[in-house]
Amino acid sequence: MTSVPAPVEPATRPGRPAPGRPGPRRRGLHGRGLIPLLLGPSVLLIVVFVVAPAVYGLYLSLTNTQLTGFAARDPQFVGLENFRTLLGSDDFLASLGRTGQFVLFSAIIGQTVLGMLAALLLRRTWLRGKGVFGAAILLPMVVPEVVAALTWASVLSSSEDGTFNRLIGLFGGAAAAPLQEWPMLSIVIVNIWRGIAFAMIMFQAALEDVPDELIEASRVDGASATQVFRYVTLPLIRGPIFLYLLLTTITTVGVFGLVYFLTQGGPGSATELTSIFIFQRAFQYSQIGLGSAASVILLALLMVLGLTYVRLTKVEV
Amino acid sequence: MTTVVQRGLQYALLTMLALFCLVPFAWVALSAIDAQAGPTVSAPAFSLENFTRFFTNADTPRLLLNSLIISVAATALNLACGLLGGYALARFRFRGRSFFMFSILLIRVIPAPATIVALYLLMVRMNLDDSYLGLILVEAAAALPVTLWLLKGTIDAIPFELEEAAWMDGNTRLGALRRVVFPLLGPGLGAAAMLTFMAVWGDFLTPLVLLQSPDLYPLSIGLFRAFSAFNQVDWGVLAASAVIYMVPPAILYAVLRRHLLKSSLGGAIKG
Repeated sequence: MTSVPAPVEPATRPGRPAPGRPGPRRRGLHGRGLIPLLLGPSVLLIVVFVVAPAVYGLYLSLTNTQLTGFAARDPQFVGLENFRTLLGSDDFLASLGRTGQFVLFSAIIGQTVLGMLAALLLRRTWLRGKGVFGAAILLPMVVPEVVAALTWASVLSSSEDGTFNRLIGLFGGAAAAPLQEWPMLSIVIVNIWRGIAFAMIMFQAALEDVPDELIEASRVDGASATQVFRYVTLPLIRGPIFLYLLLTTITTVGVFGLVYFLTQGGPGSATELTSIFIFQRAFQYSQIGLGSAASVILLALLMVLGLTYVRLTKVEV
Repeated sequence: MTTVVQRGLQYALLTMLALFCLVPFAWVALSAIDAQAGPTVSAPAFSLENFTRFFTNADTPRLLLNSLIISVAATALNLACGLLGGYALARFRFRGRSFFMFSILLIRVIPAPATIVALYLLMVRMNLDDSYLGLILVEAAAALPVTLWLLKGTIDAIPFELEEAAWMDGNTRLGALRRVVFPLLGPGLGAAAMLTFMAVWGDFLTPLVLLQSPDLYPLSIGLFRAFSAFNQVDWGVLAASAVIYMVPPAILYAVLRRHLLKSSLGGAIKG
């Protein structure tokens, strides 16, 4: 058996399709006639509830649709008016800027650095209690968004008994109201907290592929731990890191509940990320057209990132 | 000597990181069992009264029931569609297959807030807003791309010969799918079920926008409403609700964690 060359094998059993590549076989319920039946429900659901809203949103962004009032009954086609309004609106541009800051500081810097730190530390062979440490770090990611926000509401409470204020008190600081005084910093920290685990998982998987011998060899050659990380480990996991950065950017742009629950965009509009801007324009000021146009701009920015993501991962279909 | 210091420092760093992750939960954990719970951490006067009140209040048990109805139904629908679709994608080569797979991968890039406005209006036009059915359909569809990719990959790994053998024994293609492929899905199906269930269970934005009747609110919205009712927040019940809200995902996570981490689902876990 072992002497038979692999490519010949399929021919020895006529009619046997190559693995995972069955050709058209029988008729009716045995063959390709099944495809619409099998794939139909999925396609229908995705088209109606995911694709259609995206397309409809594109159309709405060109109208002055409102939830209430005259325009609600008779929406007009207004061309690019909404886009002109938005791109000239300080409110919207500021919200884009806040989303940019939020992504940069919480995801790209905070989660990445702390996630990498956790992944590296948990790889130490002498470390005891890996399971406990790992579980503690995973917890913020696996609880529902609303619970995550609720836990931080008590930490950041402006009352003197708030966990943060007690901690500050230990070091002799005066009580503060973090969500009012440093709202942006507060939500950045909350989002770092929630995302460390995801970064850690991604980096742990990447670090698995770095051969231990390589690291030992560099240590023997006299490289310090920092040098090993900088010149050996980091170049080897550059790909996964880049993929992670794109994934977390995309997810962080879509963060809504975590921030909305805590601040509802306030105080003033200090934490009004673009996701919250869209929600408030559309559902609180009932300007559906304007909200849709803001969504389209956000999507356009993300699509560029998304295409890069698919390119970079080079997924086999 | 230096190694001891270095190891000590690394333990300290890791402990600080773990504390940072755990400390925020103190309030929820302590207040849930505190008869006199307030908005901040305090030593609890131990009692399970908050949980009793959660289950005997007029409206809170309803929240749990709604969450269960929506999540279980959406997960079931999602898995049923995903199983059939994943099978087609794994076992047939047809035109547009690659395009379809890539398109649904790209869908994962669209953040929910970017399509929620149009989705709401569309649901109003279809008379599906403010109903279980509408929300279930939306949630099932939103998680389908990940489910399809996962199950397609799982079915790819099941030898085609097994199915052929079942055909020889007189099964129809669908019969073989049910009797041979389905029992072998194991971890893949478990992972898909867990990811979908957790996504639906934790979703906040979609029910916030689609549901207006308090009768239909799931726990996520119920918690938000209870928290934003500034003057009359019942902190004890709020904390107890949060604990109850965390139980199903925690159980699922504990049961399926090994499978999940094994099947390198990095990109699919978050969100």
